[in-house]
Amino acid sequence: MEVLNSRAALLSNYEVLTLLRDLETDHLTRSKTAHRIKKEEEGAGSLPAAGGKDPNVVEISENLRTIEVEAIQYLAGELQPTPQQTPAKIQELLRGLAPYNLTKAEKLQIVNIAPQSAPVLWAIIEEVEDRLNIDQMNEIISLVQNSLSSGQPQANGIDPSLQTTAWAANGPEADAEGDAFYEDDDYMNVVEELQFDDTGEGAGVEGDLDVDDD
Amino acid sequence: MFVLSIIKDTLPIHPSDFGIPAEQALGTEINKKYANRVLHDVGLCVCVFDITEAGEGKVRYGDGYLWYRVVFRMVVFRPFASEIIMAKVKSIDSDGMRLSLGFFDDIYLPASFLPASSAFDTKRRQHFWVPPEFDDEGQEQPPPANLHQVEEDRRMYIEPGEQIRARVESDEFYDDEPGPPKALEGVAVQRVPRRSPYSIICSMGEQGLGPVAWWPSDGGEDAMEEG
Repeated sequence: MEVLNSRAALLSNYEVLTLLRDLETDHLTRSKTAHRIKKEEEGAGSLPAAGGKDPNVVEISENLRTIEVEAIQYLAGELQPTPQQTPAKIQELLRGLAPYNLTKAEKLQIVNIAPQSAPVLWAIIEEVEDRLNIDQMNEIISLVQNSLSSGQPQANGIDPSLQTTAWAANGPEADAEGDAFYEDDDYMNVVEELQFDDTGEGAGVEGDLDVDDD
Repeated sequence: MFVLSIIKDTLPIHPSDFGIPAEQALGTEINKKYANRVLHDVGLCVCVFDITEAGEGKVRYGDGYLWYRVVFRMVVFRPFASEIIMAKVKSIDSDGMRLSLGFFDDIYLPASFLPASSAFDTKRRQHFWVPPEFDDEGQEQPPPANLHQVEEDRRMYIEPGEQIRARVESDEFYDDEPGPPKALEGVAVQRVPRRSPYSIICSMGEQGLGPVAWWPSDGGEDAMEEG
């Protein structure tokens, strides 16, 4: 094993949560199919196919399940802003934060913590009294509040509006299978874009972080 | 809080997994090897993010495995210094507190990193903070000399199980690997208690940090002016 880069990019809590949720749904559907196949085979009285495993039956490691479940519990916890976030809202928030000259690490923390009171924002932004005035801080707080939807937390973290755009883009002639694929594809692009946002805007923050470490 | 780490490794795929698409089999194998483990100087691995590069599988002499050289990106828990994290108070003693995130609980908050003018109540076995008082001109009063004589209703306790915000001060990796056997035979060797491979030291001696209830979402203005 060789670590090529221990800190290639930073991830927001929301991205990690969506990734873990995808993984979990994947596990659940897989164990369901495995269960169904087993039942069918038993019903038919046939022996399981010899040689090679069924592609649907992939054993899931204990360690992965543990951290997956525990991390989802933490990230979707009551006091976390993640259940109220969507990719579009986060992008909007980042665009809104652009004029304030914040570092990438500060923006990441604003997304992760969603500070809704001034003292918390004070703690996040270094030397805030020199960099921002009270009006600007209130603006940031209202940006954060706008970025949180008060609606119901979504079951699997996929923004319904994204799905609708995917449908619209495909047009009515696309068949159901195609739609499913594009939906998926489109969704992945959003994740990539988000990550690109992170790496793009505050390039050289790894350097900043090193300074912090010292 | 989470970062992506690029890791290169050579992994074997068991012949019984040849029916599965290679990418999927490799992902499972990587997760099996790394998930929920601490990599020295990297952090706590969560799961694989994607596989960047994978070579052709090779069979080596002696086993039937296909060995793949893979470069992949891993989601790793490694908060950076000065990052603010939300954590739950796991346990309290006179030296400080231990915090937990659910999936990671080697986070320590030493008593010296609690806010100024806080002390430990030996009866309740909890730390408390005495908020500064202000006179009519808005001048801060010096903190009372003996914090244990402050009336109960002015003390703000930190309860176990409470959600708090804390700032990461430093993190430390400890390699628990046993070294080469020492030439000390016959001499009683003292067993060093097991240390966790990765621990984080936090502080909360600042505005905005501490139990979430101390800094409500609205009315934050007043609190800010106080500071």
